[in-house]
Amino acid sequence: MGTFETQNPGNQPVWVNTNNCKACDICVSVCPAGVLGMKYESTSTLGAMISIDHPESCIGCNECELTCPDFAIYVADKKEFKEAGYSFAKLTDDAKKRQEAIIANGYMSLDQEGVK
Amino acid sequence: MAFNYDKYLRLEKMPTLWCWGCGDGVILKAFIRAIDKMGISQDDVCVVSGIGCSGRFSSYVDFNTVHTTHGRTTAYATGIKLMNPDKLVVCVAGDGDALAIGGNHTIHACRRNIDMTMIVINNFIYGLTNSQTSPTTPKGMWTVSQKAGNIDPTFDTCDLAIASGASFVARESMLDPKKLEKVMIKAMEHRGFSMMEVLSNCHINLGRKNKMVSAMENLEWIDNITVAKKKYDAMTPEEQLNLLPTGILKQDTEADEYCDMYAEIQKVHQGQRGKITQDDFEKKI
Repeated sequence: MGTFETQNPGNQPVWVNTNNCKACDICVSVCPAGVLGMKYESTSTLGAMISIDHPESCIGCNECELTCPDFAIYVADKKEFKEAGYSFAKLTDDAKKRQEAIIANGYMSLDQEGVK
Repeated sequence: MAFNYDKYLRLEKMPTLWCWGCGDGVILKAFIRAIDKMGISQDDVCVVSGIGCSGRFSSYVDFNTVHTTHGRTTAYATGIKLMNPDKLVVCVAGDGDALAIGGNHTIHACRRNIDMTMIVINNFIYGLTNSQTSPTTPKGMWTVSQKAGNIDPTFDTCDLAIASGASFVARESMLDPKKLEKVMIKAMEHRGFSMMEVLSNCHINLGRKNKMVSAMENLEWIDNITVAKKKYDAMTPEEQLNLLPTGILKQDTEADEYCDMYAEIQKVHQGQRGKITQDDFEKKI
């Protein structure tokens, strides 16, 4: 039985339920700001697992949550997040460049080498 | 707190049995959000699904659900709708389910223009049984049943539905879940038969043998073959070749709805009115 974690675990802009993630790379590819990346994980079926590398760059566009087929990734509600005293980042050139580099790296985090 | 799907799911069936990156999950989520936005009670929705990967749809959602025989989704749904005209009936079928074995049922449900929504998840292949040619497999692709390359011409689901008389026809891909959700709401709110084709990926059974190894490569291919309807209409026939228009392709709110007609038949038998004659119809043939 899968568990759902729709509650924000401590004021994060984006969080993941790793029990549900099947490592399909879709969320990494749709992120405009290079927030996400895949990391090698020997216990996962496809040998990789999603990781949130740069939560400070998240712009709250919700794309990853909408395109995730397996209820694994969640983005904070804009209004609630603001009321808690936090805000999403603006899209910067650095973030765009990082996203391009992540895609060129086969959707792996930049500290992970090679294509899985 | 993010959108909570738990209320609409059978949690004991989770996680889904679909492959990693399968578009069916995205469509399932968009469907649940659409129902949530429409504010309909779960007891007033009936989801009918057939056989195939898309057939699992009805197992996962916590509405009234029927998992029916292969291709007979619309046949079952017609019966359900006629007995419960105030309920929302949604059929979910794959391309093989709706167009191959169930093609006959699909065209006749379109012809009757009965008030139900049919979501055809088109992944261009028989995915569950490991890549046999389906009626929508593009020509020249490798399949298990045509290893030298597929030579069968393809069906255009939306053209078929328009020609058969469906009053709402739309095509979307799973690449834009927000738009998919909006069009789904329009399809379900429409009174009459709504045919909704959703292009989806099957990188496991279509992609791996056709140079689209990952989910993203398959989705890029879908992105390249689809074009918005406005743009499509402005193109010359040569440019339109090998492209599929997306968006709402037909919306006819004037057409006679079958449940209304059926209510008149019931009145005849209850002695509340005389027999139905040709004068009762504006469009006779």
